[in-house]
Amino acid sequence: MAGRPQLMRPSIFCEFCKRMPESLIAIGDALPYLLQGALVTLTVVIGAMALGLILGIPLAVGQVYGHPAFRRAIGLYVWFFRGIPLLAFLFLFYFGLCTALDINLSAFTVAIIVLGLISSAYQSQIFRGAILSLSEGQFRAARALGMSDLKAISFIVLPQALRLSIPAWSNEYSILLKDSAVTYALGVAEIMARAHFVATRTYQQLPLYFTAGVIFLLLTWAGTKGLRILEERVRIPGYTTHGM
Amino acid sequence: MRRKIGFWGAVWLLPALFVMTATFAAAAEKVYINGIDANFPPFAYVDKSGNPDGFDVKALDWIAKEMKFTVKHRPMDWDSIIPSLKARKIDVVASGMSITDERRKEVGFTAPYWKIAQVLVGKKDAKITAEKALADGNKIGVQRGTTEAKWIEENLIKKAGKKFELVQYDSAPLAIEDVINGRIVAAAMDDAPAMDAVKKKPVKILGGFGMADEQFGYAVRKEDTEFLKKLNDGLKKLMKSPYWAELKKSYIDK
Repeated sequence: MAGRPQLMRPSIFCEFCKRMPESLIAIGDALPYLLQGALVTLTVVIGAMALGLILGIPLAVGQVYGHPAFRRAIGLYVWFFRGIPLLAFLFLFYFGLCTALDINLSAFTVAIIVLGLISSAYQSQIFRGAILSLSEGQFRAARALGMSDLKAISFIVLPQALRLSIPAWSNEYSILLKDSAVTYALGVAEIMARAHFVATRTYQQLPLYFTAGVIFLLLTWAGTKGLRILEERVRIPGYTTHGM
Repeated sequence: MRRKIGFWGAVWLLPALFVMTATFAAAAEKVYINGIDANFPPFAYVDKSGNPDGFDVKALDWIAKEMKFTVKHRPMDWDSIIPSLKARKIDVVASGMSITDERRKEVGFTAPYWKIAQVLVGKKDAKITAEKALADGNKIGVQRGTTEAKWIEENLIKKAGKKFELVQYDSAPLAIEDVINGRIVAAAMDDAPAMDAVKKKPVKILGGFGMADEQFGYAVRKEDTEFLKKLNDGLKKLMKSPYWAELKKSYIDK
């Protein structure tokens, strides 16, 4: 059919079709290996979230109710860990601090500690915001009922504040999830590192990074969904921020 | 108020415990860790099932068996491989490391076991010579932190005043990818990975660019002289054994 405009240049289209099976095979071959990496990523993220939670709560409480000097010290801590680049901190901790103190921590452990410390600074601000959003009368009423400061915080303020924190907390999860890819610099074999390894051997960069991206998306979806369910579960009927 | 201390004490104790168990877990029987750049086929990479493989990996496995020590291979980022060695995170680097005077200041090397030439890789259908590829205004790719990256910067750009642009990549295969995409004219790398790329991608070797041949050696910490001797003895035995030719055949010439 001479003179008829061609909509698709056949050479490029055929090239794509020819390469499709090759790409799919590469993805299929690499998938178990990448999924093991997903397990590593998840462990790092959950460990870091937990560490950040354990440190973040006292930090938030201290920053709201603490002595002014204490508050300033926490402010300094938050400024430091929010300001320092993750990669720089990983290197400083792993090669600097661990060597100077002569403690032999694995790259995996250091990844959790460093991400956890940084996350604790962010999480403390999430909790602080939630604590400040409660009316001050609650704390006063608890004190008036004869509760100690600590009791009022532990049983009145925090149970409410933590519930309020869950939506913002799921942000922290998805940020940590992607930050964890940086830990490859220390040799943690997480998803991106593994995708990179397979890509350099097979020269199938695009299909592999695509797969890695899909795994991250699924992990984000599962995590935020899980936190959403948690939010529902712990919700006090007729209370908290839950809208219509 | 004792209860107060008890509660917050427990809260702070958790991370402390966590760190301690991790420390104890790390202090087990001595296994020599070989740090590899798993983005360096055919010398070091990970195979389909995720196990470290490659010429250097298999060679060191043989030496370890012969000299009776245990070795494990840990893939890591090339940029941090010498800091990792010095910080005792790994004990040896058998991963296509060129022996240079500058690296000698930091680490100890075994006897050389492989001679490597530096080449430029361009598109398969490119009508260009290595010399022309380095013309003013062109872009040349290279892996960050390698001897060729340093040599090109010092000799071709600073000393000879060439005006091409050097683009730094995470790994040589990524530079190859950009050669194919046409973002850079050519990529400079060792000849063995270049030949590996030629087999798998539409590229060809354009030729050398004036850098002298280099030798690969295994790197260890300077103070580990005993281990270095073990490696040297093992390497000598390996290079005499028929397994050496077998390795070459299955990894480099295939």
